[in-house]
Formats: sequence, C-alpha cells, structure tokens
Amino acid sequence: MDRLNLILTLAAKDWRLFWADRRAALLCFAVPVVLASAFGLIFARPTQEKSATRLPVLIVVEDSGPFTRMVADDLLASSRLEAVEVATRAEANQRIAERRPGVAIVLPQGFEALKHWEPGIAAPRPRVDVLHHPTASAERQWAEGVLTDLVMHRTAKEAFRDAPGDEAALALPFEVAAAAVTGSSGARFNSYSHSFSGMTLQYLLFWGMESGLLFLRERQRGVWMRMRSAPVPLWSMIAGKALTTAAVALLMVLVTFGVGHLAFGVAITGSFLGFLLIALAASALASTVGLLVAAIGGTEARARGVSILVILGISMIGGLWLPAFLLPGWLRDMALSLPTTWAMRGLDGVTWQGHGFIAALPSVLAISGFALIFLGIALVRLTQMERRLRRGMA
Amino acid sequence: MPVALSLDAVRVRYGKTIALDGLSLDVQRGEIVGLLGPNGSGKSTALAVAAGVLIPAEGAVTVEGVRRERDPFGFARRIGLVPQECALYDELTAAENLIFFGKLYGLSGSDLRRRVVRTLSRLRMGSHAATRVGTFSGGMKQRVNLAAALLHDPAVLLLDEPTAALDPATRDTLFADLTRLKEDGHAVLLSTHHLDEAELGCDRVAVLERGKLLAAGRPCELLRCGPKDRHVLYGHLHAKLPKFRERAIRQRLSAKVAFDITGRRLRLAADSAEELGLALAAVLIEGVEIDTFRTPVGTMERALRGEPDLPTVASATTNH
Repeated sequence: MDRLNLILTLAAKDWRLFWADRRAALLCFAVPVVLASAFGLIFARPTQEKSATRLPVLIVVEDSGPFTRMVADDLLASSRLEAVEVATRAEANQRIAERRPGVAIVLPQGFEALKHWEPGIAAPRPRVDVLHHPTASAERQWAEGVLTDLVMHRTAKEAFRDAPGDEAALALPFEVAAAAVTGSSGARFNSYSHSFSGMTLQYLLFWGMESGLLFLRERQRGVWMRMRSAPVPLWSMIAGKALTTAAVALLMVLVTFGVGHLAFGVAITGSFLGFLLIALAASALASTVGLLVAAIGGTEARARGVSILVILGISMIGGLWLPAFLLPGWLRDMALSLPTTWAMRGLDGVTWQGHGFIAALPSVLAISGFALIFLGIALVRLTQMERRLRRGMA
Repeated sequence: MPVALSLDAVRVRYGKTIALDGLSLDVQRGEIVGLLGPNGSGKSTALAVAAGVLIPAEGAVTVEGVRRERDPFGFARRIGLVPQECALYDELTAAENLIFFGKLYGLSGSDLRRRVVRTLSRLRMGSHAATRVGTFSGGMKQRVNLAAALLHDPAVLLLDEPTAALDPATRDTLFADLTRLKEDGHAVLLSTHHLDEAELGCDRVAVLERGKLLAAGRPCELLRCGPKDRHVLYGHLHAKLPKFRERAIRQRLSAKVAFDITGRRLRLAADSAEELGLALAAVLIEGVEIDTFRTPVGTMERALRGEPDLPTVASATTNH
C-alpha cells in the first residue's frame, strides 16, 4: 500500500467518525453561524449616511430665557442627536448614572447671557454642564462638538440678526467631506463580515482543539495499540489526522461564509483567491493546533481546560470578537505575535475592505508560518512520546 | 510444526522496574500457548513485545525468522494483535471496522471484501456485518475484535486476556474459535489468569511471576506439584480471629510451618503433607471454624496465588 493511500485510509476513517454522530457534526457548523449572526446583529451600523447613528443625549434647560430655549430647540432638532428633554438636573443625573443614555447637556441659569456675546469683548462666560457616565467619554466629546456647533450658529444668528442674507450665509465656512479609506473605493464596514470572520476563526480553533482531544482519547484506547502493531508509521497516523481536521475546518469556513452570504450579505469584495488561500491556511492552522493539543496536552481534562483558555484569549486579543481598534495600543502591538490577528486582518481585508491578492499575502504567509511552527513542535513531541512508549519509558 | 514466534532472553524495563527478566519462549504454528500469571507478572508486556509495540531493552523477537528491527512492515504483517480492551471503533459497523484495519495491512478491493465476509462468517458474525459495533454485546465485540486481527491471515495471533469481560458460555465459544484457528495453522499466544482456560484451552502454558518464567510445559505437567514444592492450604474463616487465639495457634505450630491470617483468609504452608495436616489440626483444636478450604493445584495455581519461593526455569522454548 503506498503512503498516500495509507494516509487517505486513515483520513477517511476519521472523516467517517466525524459524521457518525450527525447531530454533533451539524452543531460544529451551526454554532459559529448562530454566534456570528448574533454578534453581527449587535454591532450592525447603518451604512447609509442619511441615517447615520445619532447620539442619545438628555437636555436640561434651567434658564428660562428665549435664547436658551432656542438653543435647546436646536439641540432637540439636531439630526446628529437623539435628544430628549428632561425637567431637572437630578433626573438627568439619575439616568446618566444608569447610562440611559451616557450624556446629558445642562443649559444652566445665566446661559441666556450668551445672547449678547460679541467676539473680541472680554466678558464673564456662562458655563454649560456636560454630565456623562464614566464609560461614555467618547460620547461626551461627541456631544460637546455638536453643542459648540449649534451654540456658535445660534449666537452668530443673534449677532447678525439685522444683517441682510439668508440662513445659508451663516453656515460653516467650509464643508466636511468624510471618506472611509479601505482597500477599495466605496467599501463600507459590514458588522456581519467581521463577526462571521471572527466566529469562524474562533470555531476553527475550537474544532482543532476537539480533534486534538479525540486524538488523545484514541491513543488511550485499545484501538491505538492495534494501530501501533500494524504496519503503519506514526507520521502516517499524524498526517491522516491532520488531513481530516483540515478538511472539516475548510468545510466549516465554506459553510459559515456561505450562510453569511445568503442570509446577511457577507461578501468577498476583495480577492477571492486571497480568501481561499487564507481559508486554506486557517484550516491548516486549526489542524496543527489539534496536533499540538494532542502532543503537549497531557491528559484530556488538562488539555481541554488549557486549550479553552488559550483559544478564548487569543480570540479576544486577535480581534475575533470585537474590532481590534477597541483594544489598547500595547495590546494591539502584542497581538501581532498571534496567528488570530493575522487571520482576522486577512479575512477582514478580503471581505468588507476589498483587499486584493497581494494585500492578502502577508496574512496567508503569517498564518502558514504559525501552522508550520505548531506542526514542527507537535511532530517532535509526538515522535519523542512514541519513542519513549516503545521503549517502555512512558 | 515450525516455530512461528520466538522470544529470546527478552528483558523489558519500565523505568527502574524490570517487567520482563530474560524471557525466552517459542510458539509453534498449530499451537496455543497460554501466558499465566497474577496481575503485574509481565503477561501484557510479553504480548506487547511480541507484537512489536514495545522494544525490549535486551533480547530478540522473531516472527517466522523476521525481526522487527530489520523489517518492521514484514514483522507487523505476520502478527495479529487482539488487545485486552476492545480495539474497534464503536461508531463504525463491523464491516467498516474490518475494512479499515484490512487496508492498514495493505489489503484492498474485492480481496479485502471477500476476506471481511469470510472472517465474519467464520466467527459467526456474518449477519451483523452492517451493524454498528457500539450496539454489540461483549462477546460479539470480542469476536469482531478477533476478526480484525485475523483479516490479514497472520502467522501469529496474540490475545491479551481475551476472556476478561466474557461470561463462561462466551468464553467457551471463543476458545472453540481459537482451537479452529490453531487447527488452521495459526500460532496463538494468549494471556490469562484463569486456571481452567490454561488447563483446557492451551497446549502449553508459560507461568510468569514478576517478569520471570516460573514454569513452562503442558497443563497436565504443571497441574502436578513438584517433589520439592511446599504443601499449601488456603482457608476462609467463619469469623475473624482474635489476636490471642492467633498467638495460641502459633505456639502450637512448628517453626517450619507458615501461618498467615489476612482478615478472614488463612494460609498454611508446610514441607510435607503430614506437617500440613498437623498444622490444620492445631488450628481446629483452638476452636477456629473454617467455612471452606482448598489446596492449590500444581505450579499454575501456586504461581497465580503468588506463592513465594517458586523456582524459575530458564526458558519455554521448544528446545527445552
């Protein structure tokens, strides 16, 4: 029997064993789809500019002057805010403490004095209170920006009330043209693309772990004794196991992205070849993670506990759950030493960022490099273990 | 009949523990040899060495003249191993299991399919070929386990405690199968700690104790006590013996008699039958009630019961 046939025989056996429990096998594909859908839904953002996200904010008006009322009305009417007026500062405080919402703007007594503000004249300036939840610093800055714009607009309007000209004359003296910069023009962030990439990668690692645990379990059964007495070299057993794990992993990628495409419009806007190469490299990575678990895991219980911890850790740091920009800078730098970071970059790149084949290559090379390192460690360790076992030293 | 399997002065260590200490053993084609011994005596180790799963620190193993170091694949193809634990995939059917293991031995196509059908039929499992192994009884599993080892028609069949989880009727059936295999020219080496299996199912028995060969020969030879063997009696006491009564019995016994009490178990050993009889009388005189008692049958039972001071033999090869 030639070597390839032997490996294919071993791989086919593992493939059959995988599908023997149909429900468990289907769950392997269903769980990442369900989680990716949930994450995608949670982090979904409108893609059209007109319906851009509005900042929820509370307005408290403590000054009864007409100018203050006009500013408050401007805030309430702003297309950038989802403003709600509340009666008292105490009520605002209570709701902010519960983060319902995160920011409140208080126009206090004396705000009306701003009506008579003129540039270049030093006068006591009224205070505006911006109350915010400790976790809502970004929203606070956002609210301050909108408030400044609206107050300056209203003040200018009051100052030039008698001047000829229409509303347009008081508009900002410049226009802001915002453009998202990605690999291709017109690319928009798709939370489903990100979540399907992240959850697929995470579950590839979990599948790799599960495959490694199966290998560990198999080695403790009588069937392993029979295999070792058969004319089958260890490397063939390892290759067969790795081949099945990678094949199932690749199928997981195709199924999850297929469902993502059909149900949520997840698309490969960049290089399809790049996507395929990343999928292949990630599948190989899952496979070598399995071998690594089997090689250094020790007992099944120990291997499971440590593997889950490591996989969850590198998934989080690698940006598989949330976009990596939400992490501190030092952690983002550290994350470059993880395969998950490169895999996520690659998949984000070829899915919603529209990266081409060349841009996908660094990710493919990095993931393949990690897979080779894991494979090397696993091979050395498994060979050592087998040698010790045959010599009665294990 | 030619020698199919030969272990020559095999020595195996597990760290500092010597698991096999210079074991020499031959098994001929058309012969069933039983490895008998208590737990930890080295039976499974001897089978693992014979199967090529374990490499001995010293000594050599040959199967039909082939050594594993020189031709690992040729060696493996001549061996069929039936591990103690059922070595099958529960998730696959009997036929799928056999096809998989057959392919590992280089079988394929119609030849493999023919062998699967023939082997399952031979072991009366033909009608269960398409049934998942996980649904089988212990006896059925063991038959498929045996079938998987026979598929490539090995010269030597190694079975590690094949009857460990079987009821008496299934054990008898298995030994009937093994006898047929023997008649077909297979060399069978099996381990057991059941005296009746060794006595009735094996042509020769090698008795192991702490990795050493204590005795080897035909069961009828090993069922006899040697002229220099001590006479032993095991008894089960009706009630636990108080210490003062134990002391009183010891005072009545001669120094040459061994008297051991473990819980409600009694062991008496003496150099002659007369001395043993007197020792038993001394126990009974002290008012000790013995529910049951028996004397071990020859070397085999004495070895199984871990009797001390049993002499060892050099080898169980066909030259001796």
